[in-house]
Parts: sequence; C-alpha cells; structure tokens
Amino acid sequence: MRELRELAKKLLEEGTVSVVIGWEEGPRGVRPAFVTSPEDAEQLVFNSRSVHNLATYLNPRRPQVRRLGKPAVVVKACDAASVAALIRETQLKREDVVLIGVRCGGVVGRPDGPAELTPETVARRCMDCEKREPALCDHLVGEAQPAPPRGEGLGARLGALEAMPLSERWAFWAGELARCVRCHACREVCPLCFCERCVADKTVPQWIESSPHLRGNLAWQMTRALHQAGRCVGCGECERACPAGIPLALINRKLQQAVAERYNFKVSDDPGVPAPVGAFRLDDPQEFIR
Amino acid sequence: MNVYEPYLVTIDDIRDETPDTRTLKLRFKDDRVADSFAFRAGQFGEYSVFGAGECTFCIASSPTRTGYIECSFKAVGKVTNAIRDLNVGDTMGFRGPYGNHFPVDDWEGKRVVFIAGGIALPPVRCVIWNVLDLRSKFADVTIIYGARTVTDLVYKHELAEWGSRPDVTLVTTVDPGGQTPDWKGEIGFVPTIVEKVGPTSDDAVAVVCGPPIMIKYTLPVLDRLGFPPDRIYTTLENRMKCGIGKCGRCNIGPVYVCKDGPVFTAAELSTLPQEY
Amino acid sequence: MSGERFLSTERGERLVADLTLSGVRVYAPVEAQGRTEYGLIKDLREAALGGPLPGMSLKSLFFPPTEPLFRWRQSGSEVALEAVPTTFEPMVILGVRPCDAASLAVLDGVMGWDYKDELWFGRRQAATILTIACPGFDDACFCSAVGLGPDASKGSDLLLVPVEGGYHVEIVSDKGAALVKAHPACFSDPRGRESAEAFRQQARRRVGSNLEIDPHRVRAWLAGHFEDRFFDGLGLRCHGCGACASVCPTCHCFDIVDEPEGLLAGTRRRHWDTCQTGKFTVHASGHNPRADQNPRFRQRVMHKFWIYPAKFGDVLCTGCGRCTRACPAGQNLLEILGQLDRQPQQIPEGMTS
Repeated sequence: MRELRELAKKLLEEGTVSVVIGWEEGPRGVRPAFVTSPEDAEQLVFNSRSVHNLATYLNPRRPQVRRLGKPAVVVKACDAASVAALIRETQLKREDVVLIGVRCGGVVGRPDGPAELTPETVARRCMDCEKREPALCDHLVGEAQPAPPRGEGLGARLGALEAMPLSERWAFWAGELARCVRCHACREVCPLCFCERCVADKTVPQWIESSPHLRGNLAWQMTRALHQAGRCVGCGECERACPAGIPLALINRKLQQAVAERYNFKVSDDPGVPAPVGAFRLDDPQEFIR
Repeated sequence: MNVYEPYLVTIDDIRDETPDTRTLKLRFKDDRVADSFAFRAGQFGEYSVFGAGECTFCIASSPTRTGYIECSFKAVGKVTNAIRDLNVGDTMGFRGPYGNHFPVDDWEGKRVVFIAGGIALPPVRCVIWNVLDLRSKFADVTIIYGARTVTDLVYKHELAEWGSRPDVTLVTTVDPGGQTPDWKGEIGFVPTIVEKVGPTSDDAVAVVCGPPIMIKYTLPVLDRLGFPPDRIYTTLENRMKCGIGKCGRCNIGPVYVCKDGPVFTAAELSTLPQEY
Repeated sequence: MSGERFLSTERGERLVADLTLSGVRVYAPVEAQGRTEYGLIKDLREAALGGPLPGMSLKSLFFPPTEPLFRWRQSGSEVALEAVPTTFEPMVILGVRPCDAASLAVLDGVMGWDYKDELWFGRRQAATILTIACPGFDDACFCSAVGLGPDASKGSDLLLVPVEGGYHVEIVSDKGAALVKAHPACFSDPRGRESAEAFRQQARRRVGSNLEIDPHRVRAWLAGHFEDRFFDGLGLRCHGCGACASVCPTCHCFDIVDEPEGLLAGTRRRHWDTCQTGKFTVHASGHNPRADQNPRFRQRVMHKFWIYPAKFGDVLCTGCGRCTRACPAGQNLLEILGQLDRQPQQIPEGMTS
C-alpha cells in the first residue's frame, strides 16, 4: 500500500495526472476514491475488499469525471481487461490514462462484508482466475499474491443450469427476471455500456418495452447480454449492483463461453488482440449462413 | 375516473402554421364535458395519441371561447410525430387543465405588453385572445412578435387580424436575413425591437415567452424600461409526464412546473436555482 | 382508537389461517433462495419474522414496479377506453418494519396532492398494516435520525412488540381496532408491557447511535445552498444506476408509457423511474437541465430533505438504510446527512422554507 500511495502522490505532484482513481476505506467498507491532491494519496488502499472495477470511471458517459482531467486508475488484472476493451473499441486512447496495476489474489464478494478471503467469502468470479497481475499497465505495485481460494465458481453453476431440462431452466430464469425492476444498474456500472443512447432508451421506435414486466425484462436482459457477447470481461459488477439479486454474471459467462468456443477468443487485456465483435477472419465459422 | 385517464377529443380542424408547426382544434366527444370544460389562460394539458403516448402543450385557445380547445406544436419526437399522422375526425386524448394561470383579472385597467418569439407564441396567444375578447377591461395593448424568418411566423392570419385592429399596437419582426422582399415589418432580434418600440411601463404588465436566449436579452430591456420583476410574466417548460405533481420529473428546486407553474413572474424566477 | 392486547405466537398462526380462509391475502417477510422479501403467505410459519430487513421495500405492494393505467381499443377513427379497477381485495401485511410502514404515510402527501391517485389510495384502503417493532437491523439504519424510530407507529394500524410467547399489541388506528374486533379469539388481554418497553428502549439506543442529526437544520441549509460546492464531488463515484431509488421505500418517481398490443389496442402503463438517470429530465431539443451526475445526485438529496418536507411536512426518507446498503459505489447517506448537519448555517435573508 505504501508503494501505491507513494506512486499516486508522485503522479499528482508531478502533474502527470490530475486525479488518481483508486479505493479508500469508507464508513462501511471499501469504496472508489478520487484523489486530486497529493496529501490525500494517503487515503488510498488496496485489499481484499477492493472489489469495484474502477475501469468503469473511464466510460466516456461520465462528464463529471472527465472534467477532472487526465486520470490514473488502479486496476486488477480483470479491471485491466475492461480498459483494454475500451481502447479496442476506440472509447479511450491509451495515452490518455495512466494505469497502476496491482497484484491481486482475489477479492471478496462484498466490499462492505467480511475481509477475510475464504472459499465462502471469495467473489465467484475469482474462483477460477489465473491472472495475478495485469499486463496492461504503466506501473505495477503490491506484493506477489497467492491464487484465490477455489470453490464452486460460475462455471460450475452454469454446468448445473445446463444439466436442467429446458422447462426447468426457463422456470428458473423467468423467476429471476420477474424480479427485475429495470433500474438499469447493470448497465450503469458496466465499463462497456457506453452508448450515448442505449437501445433500451430509444422511443422511435420503441425496440424494447420499458415496463418491468417479464416480457419487457426478458427483452432488456437478452438484448444486453447479446450486446455484451464477445465484449464482457466477466468482472461481475452487474450482478453485484443488481438490487434484486439477479445472477446476471451467469448470463454473461454463458455467452462468453459460447464466443470462446466458436471464435477461439479469450478475454484479454491486450488491446491489440481483436475481439470477435468488430473483427473477422476468413476462416470464421459460417455454417449458419445459408 | 382515475386521474390518469384522459377525456376523449375529436380533431375538428388542422392548420399548418409553418412547414413544421401545426395547430389542432379539438372538440370533447362527451357533450357534458364539452359544456362544462373551463380553464384559465396559461394552463396546459397532456395530449394523448393512443399507442404513442402523451405530450405536454399549453392550451393555445382562449378560455373565453368555449366548446373546443386548440394546441400548436412542432414535431420533434415520438408523440408529436404521431400527432402529425392524424387526420380530421381522428380521436385523441386530453388530460387537464393543469397548472396555474396568468392572473388576467389582476391586469384590469392596466396596459398589457405581449412579447413572444417563434414557436413560443402559442402560450401567449391564449392570453392575447383572452385580453382582446375582454378588450374594454384593459388599457393599451401592445404585441411584439418575432421569428427567425417570415416562414417561421405562426398564426399569420391572426397577426393580420391583430394588426388591423385600431385598439392594438402590433409590431412583427424577423431576424436580420429572415425577411422576404415584400416584408413590411421590422428587421431585428426581438429584444432589440422591444427596446426600439419602448413600451411604457407605467401601470403596465409584460408577458414574455420565447427561447431562453431571447428571454435572457429581453429581461434587461424591460428592466431599463422600468418594468419591475413582479410585473413581468413568463412561462417555463420542463420535461413533464403526469402533469399533476406526482411523477417527480419537472421540479426546479422547490417548485414543480406542473403545479406551481407554468406561469411565473420574473421575480419568482430569480429565486429559483438555475436548473432549467 | 387506542388500546393494548397480546398476540401469542399460536394465536398469530390462527389469525393468519383465519384471514386466509376468509379470502384475505396475507403478506409477510419470506425467505427464499437466500433473500428476504415481502411475499404472500398462507401460514404464519412461512414467515421470517424477526429476520433480516426485506431487501425491497413495501412500496411494491402499493405502487407496483409496473401497473396499467387504462386500456384503449381503436375502431376506425374512434377509441374506447377501458378503466382499470381502483378498488382492491383486502390484504393484511404482517411483520412490516416501522421504516416501511412510515413510508406509506409519507407518500400519502404527494399521492393526494390536489389530484387523488386512486390506484395508490385504493390499495392503501384495502391494506391493514401489522408492524413489528424492530430491534435495529445494522449500522446503516438511521430511522431515529429522521424523526422516526425502530418502534415508531407512523403508518401502522397495529404495532406489535416482540415479548415472550408472542407480541405486545398496540392499537394505532381504527382499522387496527377493527381487525382486533373481528378476530376476538386471537387477541387476548395485554401482557408484557414492561418487556415491550425495554425492547423499545434498547432498540432506540441501538439505532440512535448510528446517526444523530437535526432534519430541520439540514433542510434549512439545503434551502439556502443549492449551488454550494459541497455537491461538486458527490456525483463522482455515483454510477447513476438507480439501485438506491428502486430499494427506497419513499422514492416514487415514475414514467408513463403506451404499450400497443397489436395495431388497434394497448395499455397505458406507469413504471418506476429515477431522477438518477441521464434521460430523466432531457428535453425534446436535447437540452438537459441536469447534465451530469453531480446535479442529479444533488436532486436526490434536495428532494428528500428539503423540497418534499417544504411541501408536505415529512422528510422523504424513513431512515431504512437500504440505499446505503445497496449502493455498489459506496455512497453513504448517513455520512452525507452528518456532513450536511455540520455545515455552518448562514441562511440568506428572506429564505423561509
């Protein structure tokens, strides 16, 4: 942490950046912090409760953050993949952000919950994570970390769902999505939902009904999932933000798997690796084109 | 009937004021409503196209003329474009009248100066006709109206009617470059023309409606002419939905435009946060 | 009408059974798949009383996330409207937390402001609220800071306080009295008054220690400091996600939409909306009076703690703490209110509200 704070202080003092976006200890747990003066760099922390994907603050739809000036952002390996996606999709220029990578051994599910990393508390997305540090960064801080505790991760849960007969699987998702109230928290926290005008907000024509009945909710969630396919890095923030507790990360992981199988694409924090959306190879599968 | 259910109205007449502005004349289908419907100048309504939604417009006709209401609008979004697809004889919905009103009764005996720009003439037109229909109650009536170009002037035939009345002073203007070769009115932005006309503020009230930039430059002119802020009236618009103070959308600080407005004096406006 | 009674746990089961048998819908906090929410029960044993605060507030039962306003049907150029019911089947909600019960009374203000919202009041009329006093849930509770408390009876018809063997019952309203009168076998002579009082005192101490502010002082400061730089940084970590508004018992902003069903018919509905989204205030011209998250977050605070009480007397918040628990970015309303309460007061002359 000392390393992180010294670095942040130096970046601010030298005027390399105008704000360092990291984490701080809030009154009820760890939360994002926006440090603009060198003295305040002391507030920055990185620990097992640094759950938030801070790359979302680079989403161009946040003018109040852009106004602060050139940022430095503290990123775990998963967060760096979001930054890479933003660069890949031309929403961010690499030179417009300073990335402070942190070595990470997993985070807990809730930034305001118990800090101890156990198979019960660890975030599901961390359970099968192999990357201990980001490759995409300008600086790398922190001590080497062990792998996160293993447990029943997203993959296992997906497997259980896929083993269900179709009618049971439908009943499961209908039950979950009936609780959606269309607050769109899933969209607002996502680094990659950056459309100036989301398709769900278009009224001429109204592609997606805005009412939170099951029909409207299915239309919204399926559209969002499809728009995330091949792009979502699996940070799980959508699920964490959902006030209705819908297991959204499962939907995104399923599509991630489908894309990986078909297009041999793995989520990468290298902006140079082309993503299936926006790139094609001559040998791409095309048996569905008749 | 629940408050969200509209009255049914028939489109009696459609008139295109300009290439993009249209006036509708609407008649209530239910005779009991038609006979009893009453409103005050400045109030607005929520107009429905069933299937597209509702839209907020002021009632552009005068309350002195009963049995029908009028609205004028520009097609800029989903509902206004849907209205343009309707014909005479089609059915719309109407909820209202909502909001406060111009205190026309308080203006008895006074001079009334109306200043409007472009598509903002409709909310002023209702009160112009209200005053003209009760002409003997008021002193001098001055109307200053301008638009970008001659084509953009709305209610052209009524402008001609007002201009031909000996008991009304009408001044029309277009922005420099907006005139046609046979244009006989003034050429200049509305605030400039107000200054040029220089209506007296003695025992006078001013009604000002227009785009924010026009209001911004007209208020200092009225100030120089001696109009105190509590004798300058304007209407505010904000994004609205329910029109009855419940959906939480239209407030500017402590004031709900749909309930505490849309008519405000310049004095009241100056106490509001600049969030509109 | 006031009065006290005792409701034993067994008699409570009988009450639920009797009500259900007579066709009354009974709701209570129910646990399912790791979540506690208000849900329909047929038997008291299905209820998770004394458990966690339900994740979503009670407002869904009175102001559903989506509800029809009317239906239309077109034939030629004519349209016929079909009204929706504004009277509802009776329901009893048991195990309501005081913060949720109070929110109903708070929202009566806006829902009855000149135009009576019959969908809201129809459901209010049909419902009897049996509140169970709360021991204090966690460190995000601040009901006592906004003039309520873990044993407040505002909005309740009966207030039940847990004592040995059941509940000490306080009759708060005529509707509560009517329920007691209609089920004489269930409610017996009052018992456990002292124990109930001890429970209430302890709960108040517990919650009181979370936050102490003067809502009037906060309101006065907000009224005079709309442009204050205090608000400049509040929108930074905020995602504008609206999770706070959806779990909040008093947030009531909504949108109205037409949903065609085929070419000739459809339903006009209203659904929850929030001032936290970018498009909430955007004009057709594209102009947006609240153009980024800073003024939008400010609106949330202003509406709840100045604008609503200025119009209706009650603060638009019952201190349930859900917003603070739900916020994915760690915004903390207790922290913000504490900071507002400590701001130096320099109220401009002439500012009365």
